Amino acid sequence: MIRPPKLAGQMPLVSLIVLCVVTALLTDRFLSPLNLANILVQSSIMAVIAMGMTFVIVGGGFDLSVGSTAALSGCVASMVMLEAGIAAGSLAGIVAGALVGLGNGLVIAFLNVNPFITTLGSMVLVRGVVFLITGGAPVSGETGLPAAFVAFGSDRLFGIHYLVWVPAILLAVLSVVMHATPYGRRVYATGGGREAAYLSGVPVRRVIASTYVWCGALAGIAGVMLAARLQSGQPTAGEFYELTAIAAVVLGGAALTGGEGTLYKSVIGVFIMIVLGNALNLLNVDSYWQRVAIGVVIIAAAAAERLRSVH
Amino acid sequence: MGDGTRNPRAAQVEVDVGTGSVPSINAQGICKRFDANVALDNVDFAVCAGEIHAVVGENGAGKSTLIRILGGVHRPDRGNIFVAGRPCHFASPRDAIAAGIVTIPQELRLLPTLSIAENISLGHPPLRRFGPAAFVDRGSMRAAASAVLSQLDFHPDPDRSVASLSFAERQIVAIAKGLARECRVFILDEPMAALEHREVERLFAVLARMQARGTAVIYISHELEEVVAIADRCTVLRDGRVVAVRGRGAFSVSDLVAAMTGGMMDDATHAAAQSGDVLLAAKADGVNTVEARAGTILGFAGLLGSGADGILRRLFGLATPMTVDVGGRTHRFKNPANAIAAGIGMVPGERSLGLVMNLSVRENILLPNLDLLSRLGRFDTRAADRMVRELMELFDIRPRNPKLKAHALSGGNQQKVILAKWLARRIAVLLLQEPTQGIDVAAKAQIHALIREFVNGGGAALVNSTDLGELVRLCDAVCAVRRGRIVAAPRRGADLDETKLRSAIGG
Repeated sequence: MIRPPKLAGQMPLVSLIVLCVVTALLTDRFLSPLNLANILVQSSIMAVIAMGMTFVIVGGGFDLSVGSTAALSGCVASMVMLEAGIAAGSLAGIVAGALVGLGNGLVIAFLNVNPFITTLGSMVLVRGVVFLITGGAPVSGETGLPAAFVAFGSDRLFGIHYLVWVPAILLAVLSVVMHATPYGRRVYATGGGREAAYLSGVPVRRVIASTYVWCGALAGIAGVMLAARLQSGQPTAGEFYELTAIAAVVLGGAALTGGEGTLYKSVIGVFIMIVLGNALNLLNVDSYWQRVAIGVVIIAAAAAERLRSVH
Repeated sequence: MGDGTRNPRAAQVEVDVGTGSVPSINAQGICKRFDANVALDNVDFAVCAGEIHAVVGENGAGKSTLIRILGGVHRPDRGNIFVAGRPCHFASPRDAIAAGIVTIPQELRLLPTLSIAENISLGHPPLRRFGPAAFVDRGSMRAAASAVLSQLDFHPDPDRSVASLSFAERQIVAIAKGLARECRVFILDEPMAALEHREVERLFAVLARMQARGTAVIYISHELEEVVAIADRCTVLRDGRVVAVRGRGAFSVSDLVAAMTGGMMDDATHAAAQSGDVLLAAKADGVNTVEARAGTILGFAGLLGSGADGILRRLFGLATPMTVDVGGRTHRFKNPANAIAAGIGMVPGERSLGLVMNLSVRENILLPNLDLLSRLGRFDTRAADRMVRELMELFDIRPRNPKLKAHALSGGNQQKVILAKWLARRIAVLLLQEPTQGIDVAAKAQIHALIREFVNGGGAALVNSTDLGELVRLCDAVCAVRRGRIVAAPRRGADLDETKLRSAIGG
């Protein structure tokens, strides 16, 4: 069958719209401003992580450590913030994330260790470090985190939460990086065919390492956002974020074999995950069944994508 | 269709009367479409026991689709397949193998982490039974592998992993894997692409033995000289239809070319070029200096393991670095990026290494040129589009769709994209490994013309090929390599000819 090519690549968006329409018909609370704002805020932090994950997956890799990294960044940011102010704290959190990513990237690209194993190890390692530096307790100081930082986690600008502006701006900037810079094209080429890219002069090891730095830094930004929202650095925060992020990127049509994937589609994937959870909540579906349903949706989406690309 | 086309049905009938026996495999009225493309249109094809039947045609003519249908990979939309007179419906390659149809595919289906012996016996390992339990009999597996490999005069340790073999050696193992099975019909798709004269001769001897045992052999090749030499019958496909079926003696290379292309071909040989400045100089083998001059094509010939291909790899920074003088400066390239920066491009022997297959034609052409097109960290999309459009026009890359993914192109067009991406850079020296391997005659002539055009524009090309005929036709001089040393360098117009070259490399 010949399909209109425009529609063929827009499965994630079509699925999201169908999901929203069905939910809106089944419940009257879905379209309430409060619920929609809630969905946007819930999606914002995950969207930042999923964008980083998209860099890694397009480059042919994989990162399981993003949840732990977000927790580390949130705690580091909170600790530094209490001593040296909001700007220094936020920066420290993001740098901590980038350093975790750099470590992952160097081991994977230059020592040729499998990304799955490397980031599985750093997921556990970083979580251990978070508990060591915090003693396992939330970081919020005697008087709490600075008021302006807490406000960043809950206030709005032009009617939209600050937390939602962050991924919106990042999406615009990073889409340019991925699609309109030589660097971005090299990431796609490296993921699509590492050897062929190398023979075309692409410094593949450096490109691969750099994708993990992006992923770590973005997980760091997400961690800082999370700290603002929770009004503290939580050492247990961010668990299972890696799985949600990977599922969202795959729902957005990226190939786990590398070379394919788009940032905005990954963000749509995040929305699908969050709206699905929201819909099941509004429909009063038992939380155990919610997990079953989300698992089914992830596998079905990946299978549908495979079937479509085969035929 | 051209004027010289025969009525395909008439040809088929004539041949069937001629042989008189029930064909080992007989396909009738086969039709197959992929989306909007008609790959096969009412194709009749039959091969008798003890017959070597060649199938030729340009890239995209439907050869591979036909053998994939016979091998159970694709199912025909219409038409019937009879094996030894009985109708068969293959749901999978497994069914075809069970019916005695063994295919050696063009892309090698070997498992690199397994040993040679394991690959050869894959799917039918020799077993040793203890009551209800069965174990793989490793001893007889190794012995069987060695026996079948020695038919091809290849004697590796059967426990070696396939990953450690060269491309040509892997091809021999793939052929051996097919030979190890009992079969009624043996299909080879471009088996010689990476093989040298010596190996090809050996394979022909094996095919003659199979023929004597009554096996039907289907042989797909772009090497028309080979086809004329060994085939009993030859079917020519064009645009998914059978345009000619001829018996031995009734076809020559030029007949086949005419039938394949519908009568358009040029094979211009050229006079020795005027050589210009030295663009690249290197002590390629540690002793002799290789000089690539502007306007010339220099060939490297050698047997498997002679090191002829290694010289090109080292010049591109892929193996032990050596001192290379390019553009008046001395370099030691540690990686391809260094070599590219100095003005060298490389067309690798495997096309999957020349292109990132799941990226578009446009992306692939731009990949080595991103630095040229970037302004302040962003790249100039409009200039890039213009460059891609012009190159696709200039190189006649079809279809003319820059967004098409590279894997959707035919081999000849893929190779043109690889050339285009380098020539976009205005590189000084182009290194080519097996530049026309597995490419049809018309595209081959185009690729040769493009290489010639590149050097006429002031570049130099270094070519490594196992096809000595190609080197002799294409190059101005050819270095014969033995054990890593250049032992002779005959020149065009003086002492360059295929027979002498063959004896110089020790074939």
